[in-house]
Amino acid sequence: MTDETEEELDLNDLDDTELVEQMHDDLYDGLRDEVVEGTEILLARGWTADKVLNVALVGGMQIVGVDFRDGILFVPEVLLAASAMKGGMGILRPLLAETGAKPIGKMVIGTVKGDIHDIGKNLVGMMMEGAGFEVVDIGINNSVEEYLAALLEHEPDILGMSALLTTTMPYMKVVVDEMVNRNIRDQYIIMVGGAPLNEEFGTAVGADVYCRDAADAADQATRLMNEKHAANV
Amino acid sequence: MSGARKRRSGGRANRVAARQSSVAVETATFIERKIPCFEILNQEALELIEYNADTLLEEVGIEFREAPAALELLNAAGAEIDGERVRFPRGLCRQLVMASAPSEYSQHARNPARTTIIGGDRTVLVPAYGSPFVRDLDGGRRYATIEDFRNFVKLTYMSPGLHHSGGTVCEPVDLPVNKRHFDMVYSHMKYSDKPFMGSVTHPDRAQDSVDMANILFGEGFLDQNTVMTSLINANSPMTFDATMLGAAKVYAENNQATVISPFILAGAMSPVTVAGTLTQILAEALAGMTYTQLVRPGAPVVFGTFASAISMQSGAPTFGTPEPSLVLYGAAALARRLKVPFRSGGGLCGSKTPDAQAAYESANTLQTAALAGVNFMLHTAGWLEGGLVMGYEKFIMDTDQANMIAVLLRGVDLSENGQAMDAIREVGPGAHFLGAAHTQANFEHAFYRSTVADNNSFEQWEEDGCQDTVARANTIWKEMLASYEAPPLDQAVDEALLAYMQQRKDSMPDQSY
Repeated sequence: MTDETEEELDLNDLDDTELVEQMHDDLYDGLRDEVVEGTEILLARGWTADKVLNVALVGGMQIVGVDFRDGILFVPEVLLAASAMKGGMGILRPLLAETGAKPIGKMVIGTVKGDIHDIGKNLVGMMMEGAGFEVVDIGINNSVEEYLAALLEHEPDILGMSALLTTTMPYMKVVVDEMVNRNIRDQYIIMVGGAPLNEEFGTAVGADVYCRDAADAADQATRLMNEKHAANV
Repeated sequence: MSGARKRRSGGRANRVAARQSSVAVETATFIERKIPCFEILNQEALELIEYNADTLLEEVGIEFREAPAALELLNAAGAEIDGERVRFPRGLCRQLVMASAPSEYSQHARNPARTTIIGGDRTVLVPAYGSPFVRDLDGGRRYATIEDFRNFVKLTYMSPGLHHSGGTVCEPVDLPVNKRHFDMVYSHMKYSDKPFMGSVTHPDRAQDSVDMANILFGEGFLDQNTVMTSLINANSPMTFDATMLGAAKVYAENNQATVISPFILAGAMSPVTVAGTLTQILAEALAGMTYTQLVRPGAPVVFGTFASAISMQSGAPTFGTPEPSLVLYGAAALARRLKVPFRSGGGLCGSKTPDAQAAYESANTLQTAALAGVNFMLHTAGWLEGGLVMGYEKFIMDTDQANMIAVLLRGVDLSENGQAMDAIREVGPGAHFLGAAHTQANFEHAFYRSTVADNNSFEQWEEDGCQDTVARANTIWKEMLASYEAPPLDQAVDEALLAYMQQRKDSMPDQSY
């Protein structure tokens, strides 16, 4: 990359391919204002909101996810990238609603009853937003009733439950069992995570998937939503 | 991609390039210590050991074997000679050493940016020394060759935590005994630009090392500058042999540094107690250092200590146990009172493979050496099986520890940024610091990142093939050697070195001694 051009870069001068590549870099570098500007330029050039989202933003965040998994990017950098992504999403979300384009997905997420640990859950929420999901965070110490109320109110595609303690993680099964009782279990993708969990535990409580970390959660959620959309076609 | 295309710098390409270069050749020249040395003996205790050491020197004495010239020199300085036994009047050695031995000295490297300083508040980390065998995950345990020797010089050159190229990084047993030192010294000169050690296995080989250094640094440079620090072991208990004394004389005469190292496997070569061992170490080191100061007052000399214990069941040496750690702390304090640099420590272990025993024992010795205030830490990386084996994977594991020692000794940052009050105010109760401005500004260098540890989730570790530390280290050293680039060496100097070696090798038949 040449030094003399870097200060004077005007995103308007780039053609579509170059601009998308630059937006991927800007997402990677967590440059929120630049990502917002790139989003606006693409829309002004006649791109649909759906295409901007998938090609420019989600495509860029996938690169971030890969490098986070591989130990190249650090947590604070991924947070910056997710924040830049949210900046772009802020412009796209109303347009997506208007055009009736299928949103990527919506998630309700919360830490289970008895557990007030939320840093991991917050990271998952940010990574999910970074992947283009709409995230409703219902906080910590959630009872069955609170989870069910949130599902009714927000009508998400995904329910995410988090726990840090071995003594609180069994409560996830209480929530899933109650959803089964009420015949609403199959309306949702259920994702669980937290340090003391593993794959086997996720299966045992009746979740669809166990996520080992925040980047994995975003990956799995994207995959499951794609499968769901494909099944509905 | 077109080079003329406008693009902001940064993005993935830059970050990946910056973070994936496992091979950074950027090296500090030493660690400057900002935390106190750990002391285990009070002044009264140290004075007691010094008194007992003087009693040893006065009553029992030290043998200087097959070294009539040394005996004359010592006699002229006031020592009493009885056959090969040398007895020193109380206080004489201390007085002679403190009168002229420097408290610290620069050891010049051919690349001036790598010139180091040995002594004072500095710690210089040096690879392991002397093993006849090497071991790696693929080839197992085998005799070392000159190829292995070059490999360890290259790996050391590429390890930012090691400040010194070392000496006999392994013994190239594929070369004739009387000629291998040429190729060893040349390898340090050619494949690295860090400071190094000279040959000590014969006075002539010490002289060859000096002659080669004269070619590398230019005639006349050595007389006023030190370019080699070489290892002179006492043949404990209480004996110096002609080989070591001869090599020490060559180096001291040429203003080159020596490390006078009592070699102690306590229980066999010293008393079984810590205080008794310390007494003997001090006496031996004092006698040897005194000799160098008589050969040339002011020649740099280092108080060395190699302390281990033996298994009273089998007689085998043991490492990483508490008693030698106590000896090391005590010897470091005795050296400080003499105002000379101190050598000890390293990643010592008795284990055959880089397993849990190796890791525990090495960590114990490395930590002790770091906290004790060692100035010249020989055997920092690669040591296995009591020094019989130089391990490729162990070397990589130890260099990770070496990097950590530098961070530990740097101490605590109490600047405004270090106090982090803005971060505490920004985040407050119940939130997290990962997104705070202070974290964003500091995260990349806030914590030492291990080169060999795996801290990923269980599932990711499993996906990556369930690799243990040794498997990961195996990948690293292979990557390093594959990407090695030699530091430039003036072609005329290189040719002169090669011509000198050829001429010297042709002047004598190959010998096995």
